[in-house]
Amino acid sequence: MSDEQERPEHRLRRELPAEVPASEPEYGGAPEPKESAEPQVTGRQRLWAGLWPPRLSRAQLIVAVLLFGLGFGLAVQVASNSDSGNVLRGARQEDLVRILDELDDRTQRLEDEKQGLEKQREELQSSSDQAAEARKQTEEKERQLGILAGTVAAQGPGITMTIEDPKGAVKADMLLNAIQELRAAGAEAIQVDQVRVVASSYLSDTDKGVTIDGNKINTPYRFKVIGKPQDLEPALNIPGGVVQTLEKEQATVTVDRADKIVVDALRQAKQPDYARSSAR
Amino acid sequence: MIAVLGLVVGVVAGLLVRPEIPAVMEQYLPIAVVAALDAVFGGLRAMLDGIFDDKVFVVSFLCNVVVAALIVFLGDELGVGAQLSTGVVVVLGIRIFSNAAAIRRHVFRA
Repeated sequence: MSDEQERPEHRLRRELPAEVPASEPEYGGAPEPKESAEPQVTGRQRLWAGLWPPRLSRAQLIVAVLLFGLGFGLAVQVASNSDSGNVLRGARQEDLVRILDELDDRTQRLEDEKQGLEKQREELQSSSDQAAEARKQTEEKERQLGILAGTVAAQGPGITMTIEDPKGAVKADMLLNAIQELRAAGAEAIQVDQVRVVASSYLSDTDKGVTIDGNKINTPYRFKVIGKPQDLEPALNIPGGVVQTLEKEQATVTVDRADKIVVDALRQAKQPDYARSSAR
Repeated sequence: MIAVLGLVVGVVAGLLVRPEIPAVMEQYLPIAVVAALDAVFGGLRAMLDGIFDDKVFVVSFLCNVVVAALIVFLGDELGVGAQLSTGVVVVLGIRIFSNAAAIRRHVFRA
């Protein structure tokens, strides 16, 4: 504070003793002689005098050595501190123990969380597995029932039976016999001409010919039957069986085995009006 | 000027060499650096005041470093190392600030 008040006068006087800087190099010496020069030289001038021109004095060298040490230590410390991996290097033992404890706690918590999540995941997975399994079974069952009910097409090994009836002697009951025989032999899907034969199918004689479920079928009657061919064919051909009975009526019957029979005549699924499922 | 050069060379050397600090020194280096900074600021202020003495500077520099390291060492032995080194840093920081204020008054006249 007092400096500032005095300064204006100093500044004016400063011009006069211009040769003072000549004795300046030894300002680093004992403070005693400095006191007299003090009024003429401000701190800023001293700073400049110290910086420029560079002088190789003992004081400068010693200070340079010490500052070198300071700079070196500073840089080393900053460098080692900014290495993120070495954050723990300078830490104290109790800090390290605390950090370790915290990490253990955290690990424990995360482990618990992981277990919970894994359990949840397992539950979800198993439930979705179960749902998928149930859906698969339902679909499978639907297909099976669909084949029985005639709502889906079916294919597989089986036989074809063609009944040629030039005289029109074959009646509905004979065809029904044939169908019953085939069913008894394990036929799983039966189609006559373009009509699917299902559990509720009925055959009747009309004046135009035989009808199945009200659909007229024409000669030659072509049966497409899916089932085990080795069972179906003998069942038709047994003595006194279907084939013999039909041939007695002057009809010609040919039975062929085939590896692939396609039963593609369909029937609309019919919702029962009164019957309701009582299972479950 | 040579002193400033010494500082610059020291920083550059420290950055280039990157020596491994011995484990024993690790805790003392930061405190020692702060103490040395305090000595440097004190020296700068003395120079601006015109009472700079290289002998005083050397002694104060080395004393600061040694005492600071000693205090930290003592604190570690007593089990209050962290608190004590914080205290040392605070005290040195206050000194650095007051020195810096004096330097500022010289350099900027404000």
